[in-house]
Amino acid sequence: MRAILRAFGFAGLGVIAVIVGLNNVLARLPADTPHAGDALSPPSPQFPFGTDLFGRDVASEVLHGLAVTVGHAGVAMLVTIVMGGALGFVAVRFPLRAGTPLRWLAGVLGSVPPLFLAILMIGLTSRDFAAEAAGLAAAPLAFTRAFDRSRSLARSRHSEFARATGIPMTTLLRRDLIYEIRDNFLSTAARSLAAVTITLATVSFFGFGASPPRRDLGLMIAAARESYFDAWWTAAFPALALMAFILCARLAASLDEGEQP
Amino acid sequence: MSERRLAISELTVAAAGRAELDCFSLAIDAGETVVLLGEAGCGKEAVMRVLAGAPGEAVSGTLQYGGAQPERAVKIGRTPLRTVYLPSVPAQPLSPHASVASQLIRAIARKLGAPRATARAEFALALERLEGAPPLSAFDKTPAALPRESLAWGLFAAAFAQTPELVLADHALSGLAPTQARQLARALLAEQKRQGFAILYAAMNTQVAAWLGGRVLVMRHGKIVEEGPIARLATAQAHAYTQTFFKAVASASPAYGAPRASGRGQPVLQAYGVECARASAKRPGDGLTFELRRGASLALLGEDGSGRSALVRVLLGLDRPRAGRVVLDAVDVGILAEKMLLRLRRRVAMIAGADDLLDPRMTLWDTVSEPLRAHLKLSRELVANYRDSALKRVGLASLPGDCAVRDLSAFDKRRLQVARAIVGAPLLAVIDEPLRGLDAFAQSVMCDLLRNFRAQEGPAFLVITSDFAVAQALCEEAMVFKDGRVIERGLLADLVRAPKEAQTKALIEATLLPSP
Repeated sequence: MRAILRAFGFAGLGVIAVIVGLNNVLARLPADTPHAGDALSPPSPQFPFGTDLFGRDVASEVLHGLAVTVGHAGVAMLVTIVMGGALGFVAVRFPLRAGTPLRWLAGVLGSVPPLFLAILMIGLTSRDFAAEAAGLAAAPLAFTRAFDRSRSLARSRHSEFARATGIPMTTLLRRDLIYEIRDNFLSTAARSLAAVTITLATVSFFGFGASPPRRDLGLMIAAARESYFDAWWTAAFPALALMAFILCARLAASLDEGEQP
Repeated sequence: MSERRLAISELTVAAAGRAELDCFSLAIDAGETVVLLGEAGCGKEAVMRVLAGAPGEAVSGTLQYGGAQPERAVKIGRTPLRTVYLPSVPAQPLSPHASVASQLIRAIARKLGAPRATARAEFALALERLEGAPPLSAFDKTPAALPRESLAWGLFAAAFAQTPELVLADHALSGLAPTQARQLARALLAEQKRQGFAILYAAMNTQVAAWLGGRVLVMRHGKIVEEGPIARLATAQAHAYTQTFFKAVASASPAYGAPRASGRGQPVLQAYGVECARASAKRPGDGLTFELRRGASLALLGEDGSGRSALVRVLLGLDRPRAGRVVLDAVDVGILAEKMLLRLRRRVAMIAGADDLLDPRMTLWDTVSEPLRAHLKLSRELVANYRDSALKRVGLASLPGDCAVRDLSAFDKRRLQVARAIVGAPLLAVIDEPLRGLDAFAQSVMCDLLRNFRAQEGPAFLVITSDFAVAQALCEEAMVFKDGRVIERGLLADLVRAPKEAQTKALIEATLLPSP
């Protein structure tokens, strides 16, 4: 069953990747084109997702917003994997137990909601670094997870057996990394993708993330706050696109603690 | 005339297109012991499975419990007979997440249809009856936190607390030290006398059959090929397969081991007054001093937890000694940094009975090649040559090279460890319970492989075992451990002939077959 769910998740992510790749072709209008139609027109054959307060085609905007969201989430996911997962995995084998204080620090940072960390980092840099900030905000949890996994591998009987017969630490680390990437990379990446997407969308919703004209789905939902009760389509379609993306990522991660990186 | 407990008639079981049981018939009376003896896959597992209520696919034949009407084996649900399944500890029958006590008490309560409190009291009573069993409070831990023998006591006590009429013991003594296994076998027989239940025991080797007595059925390809008491089967086999089986048992015995002169060559391992930090406190100056020369062999004999593994960890520099000095290949281990220790340990090989010593994710080829790649700058072709040669020697060359270790059988994993040891051309081989949990044929093959390895590569053997037969098959000298201390040492032949300590005698007795 889990394998089927994973397959569905990856298939969904594949479809989304194709849509993102072809967003300029699939979208009828360029991003942030006002007055394409009447303001707040309901879904119709001409505008399948309706129009927003400024007469923009919501379908085109959702396609462009999805591309921005996916692009930012991809960057954030890479930051999380490198600064969290990879660093945490390697830190266990640092000489003189140097990884232990890092694990402690990551544990402390991990207890702070990633959203607050992301907003703090955006404040310290700029909103252009929202993706990197979201990735870094999710990194502590990814670090602790990878650190603990790596520590259990390093303490396993087969690792001890290898050390007892003179196999160097670097060989063991390389071995563990190769098998970890082969066996767990895709699910870890998918889990991180889901987590950072939630953070990124929320950051944008609060106005700390993406800025016009490059609007992401979070910002689109935020912009639809004023019109939502009169024109549900302005927020519902961006929200559905966001939900579909996060759901696919979580399915690809076998629904394994989707909120954790 | 004894009351009939179970009659199996014309039972045939097929799985994956192969007949596991072929018209198997058997009758067991109350108070009787029947041992199904044979190598892995001979059909005894299928008998256990059917009787435990999980027949699997393609089953025919009938089962008759007590005086009830015969039923088709495929439709057996709740049996009219109180049947208890007694698994082995290595089969990991309990969940790793809950305490042993809670799981066993739940099983007793369910079987007796009684409240938990009653089941707990029954379990405690059963434990009290068993001489040598830990108290109930010792089982308030997860299975991983309990010593193997304590877990076995718990499983046995839980089985007895269910007041069974038939005990299905599925290799229940497998994976235990001989002295512990023998003690449990005695407890099983004592309870059988008390409660009058019948025992159907699936065994891989003759030792258990000898302890339990009763009727022994030698099985092969799902059929009984010979039947009789173990004393007769051990000396006069009628069927060709039984002869082969008992020959394999004998080949793992000392008579087949070519004795080598001990103490030849340069010293490989020297210990001077070594005291292990993990061992219990002893008198000052009670440290261990010995020397192991190239090509020599030494057995560290004792029960599990007697301090042998702690000593080996100190000898290999994995742990620091509380006192004393260890010299490995003419280098003092105590003064070396970890990096240099790793270099020194390149000349050490390890072969162990535990199946988790090889990385389950690695492939067959990678497992054997890793020491060569890590230690030597050899070309791919040369690595492949050494690897293939080693795999051929241990009989694994026919397996696909990309086969993952996790998919191998226990026997294949042991042979793979030997192959990995061979390519390393070690000076010292640490061998820890190499035959534990294997059937007679596999034990015979492993013994031959280890002897061949020693004869060709010439490493010194340091063998950790609780089985005198294994020690005799692989070593010339031995030290007997008890509570972290060496209580007796010398040539194995002398120890067997005239043991001085009670512990040594107990270890020897636990591995002897009864005289016919």
